[in-house]
Amino acid sequence: MRARSLTETAFAYLVALAAILITLFPIYWMFNIALKNQRDAFAVPPKWSFTPIWEHFENVLSNRAYLEAFTNTIVVTLAGVLLALVMGVLCAYAMERFRFRGRGLFGVWLLLAYMLPEFLYIIPMYALYQQVGLYDTHFGLALVYQVHSLPFAIWMLRSFFRDVPQELDDSARIDGCGYWGILWRIYLPVTAPGIAATGILTAIWIWNELTIAQALTFARADTITVAVASFRGYAAVRWGEMAAASLLAIAPLLVFAVFAQRYIVKGLTLGSVKG
Amino acid sequence: MLPAVMVLALTTLYPAVYSVIFSFFDWNWGNRMNFVGLANYADTFSNPEFWAVLGQTIIFAAWATGLEVLLGLGLALAVNRLRFGVGLIRTLLLTPLMVSGIIVAIMSKIMLDPMLGIVNYLLSLIGVAPNTFLGAKSTVLPTIIGIDVWWQTAFGFIILLAGLQSLPNEPIEAAQVDGANAWQTFWYVRLPLLRPVLYTVLIFRIIDTLKVFDIVFGTTSSGLTDVMQTLAYRTAFSYQQMSKGMTFMVIFSVLILLLCWVYLRLDRTEA
Repeated sequence: MRARSLTETAFAYLVALAAILITLFPIYWMFNIALKNQRDAFAVPPKWSFTPIWEHFENVLSNRAYLEAFTNTIVVTLAGVLLALVMGVLCAYAMERFRFRGRGLFGVWLLLAYMLPEFLYIIPMYALYQQVGLYDTHFGLALVYQVHSLPFAIWMLRSFFRDVPQELDDSARIDGCGYWGILWRIYLPVTAPGIAATGILTAIWIWNELTIAQALTFARADTITVAVASFRGYAAVRWGEMAAASLLAIAPLLVFAVFAQRYIVKGLTLGSVKG
Repeated sequence: MLPAVMVLALTTLYPAVYSVIFSFFDWNWGNRMNFVGLANYADTFSNPEFWAVLGQTIIFAAWATGLEVLLGLGLALAVNRLRFGVGLIRTLLLTPLMVSGIIVAIMSKIMLDPMLGIVNYLLSLIGVAPNTFLGAKSTVLPTIIGIDVWWQTAFGFIILLAGLQSLPNEPIEAAQVDGANAWQTFWYVRLPLLRPVLYTVLIFRIIDTLKVFDIVFGTTSSGLTDVMQTLAYRTAFSYQQMSKGMTFMVIFSVLILLLCWVYLRLDRTEA
């Protein structure tokens, strides 16, 4: 009995180890390619030891279009997260603490907004944005991102608000707090880690989004994913630059993931697991 | 509450209604705008390309979701057994979810290059003949499914692992006392308890894979293969056939609405 359970645990570690290898190898290999010159990168069989060069990273970092896209992404991400959190907090608070007609229907609307295909929204929004001048602007893009980010933020925040003990609510009311006071003095401080988790996951989603950005931005507000997509034709030849550009685009998120891992896991699982 | 309703009305309700209305016109991003009734729908339903792309999208979604949920569940069961290093293992396995789809596409193009790619080299070491991967029509769909599995398996894994960890201990112990083996405990006790979580993972993955765009757009610049959303992009933005693109999306949305409806029904019976 004991021997069998030991073999099983050993097998489980083996499975986990194999999964980690498969997961991380592509990212390691991109580093490998980004640090090789063209001849080494194209070598068959692949070279495992070589003299690293930093030329590709330098080239990407001195490319103005790439740097602008990087800045655009930061602006759009901040704007999108801010919009989602401010509106999400108000909406989630209202949905959790007040009973009103149409609450269930609004919940279904949120699910559908999140689930329906992007291009159902994008084609008309493209036409509208061309007319009102929001095409290729940071704000316009951040606004359309709310079709996904706002329902997500509301779901997450509702589940955090639900866990705030009713006694806190009641005692604040006795102390003379209005609804705004309760939200500001009780809910926001108590659920701060949850709000952070929501913001982080929203930021990651916006940072990585391509479909909407590809259709609604061009040269002024194009994000990093659009910039990388526009180089994809070169992927067949200029491996070094492509790999370096890809790594630089995901570097902020990888650093983020290491430090905010607890929040990310919490946020990902909260919506579906009540634990 | 009101600002959220207004923003959602502008960004979802307005375009959805607009799409439905203009799917009855023949608008091509110019001045021409005639009411054509159901002509766009008739054209679409008799268009073999539309059916081929829809079929391909569904095959992609079915395989990708199936593999991701099975692998994710297997991994979650394995990691759930472990006592040491679970946090670290989870962090490492989470990495692909941090990577944008377009970058996953670029990485795939480099690693799966038929001539110079590392994957064909590694396969040759174990005696497998070189594969064309993204370079030929016959291999491109399975390859894209594989890419999606690398990218998104972690989603199911993370959620199912949390689900397993939050299961109550008593029924599992009771089953073991009654002499159930590991497989029976899993099949008759843990899996039924896990069902609501499993449904959620399934519906999110099915709809997400049906809507796939980045990895197809990024890997097949030659238009070797299409899924619904790349077809809509090409039709509306490259060919400027706005009404046609909207018709595709309205039909596609009905399919997704049906899936959402099934999910809400299941959710209600569970609760």
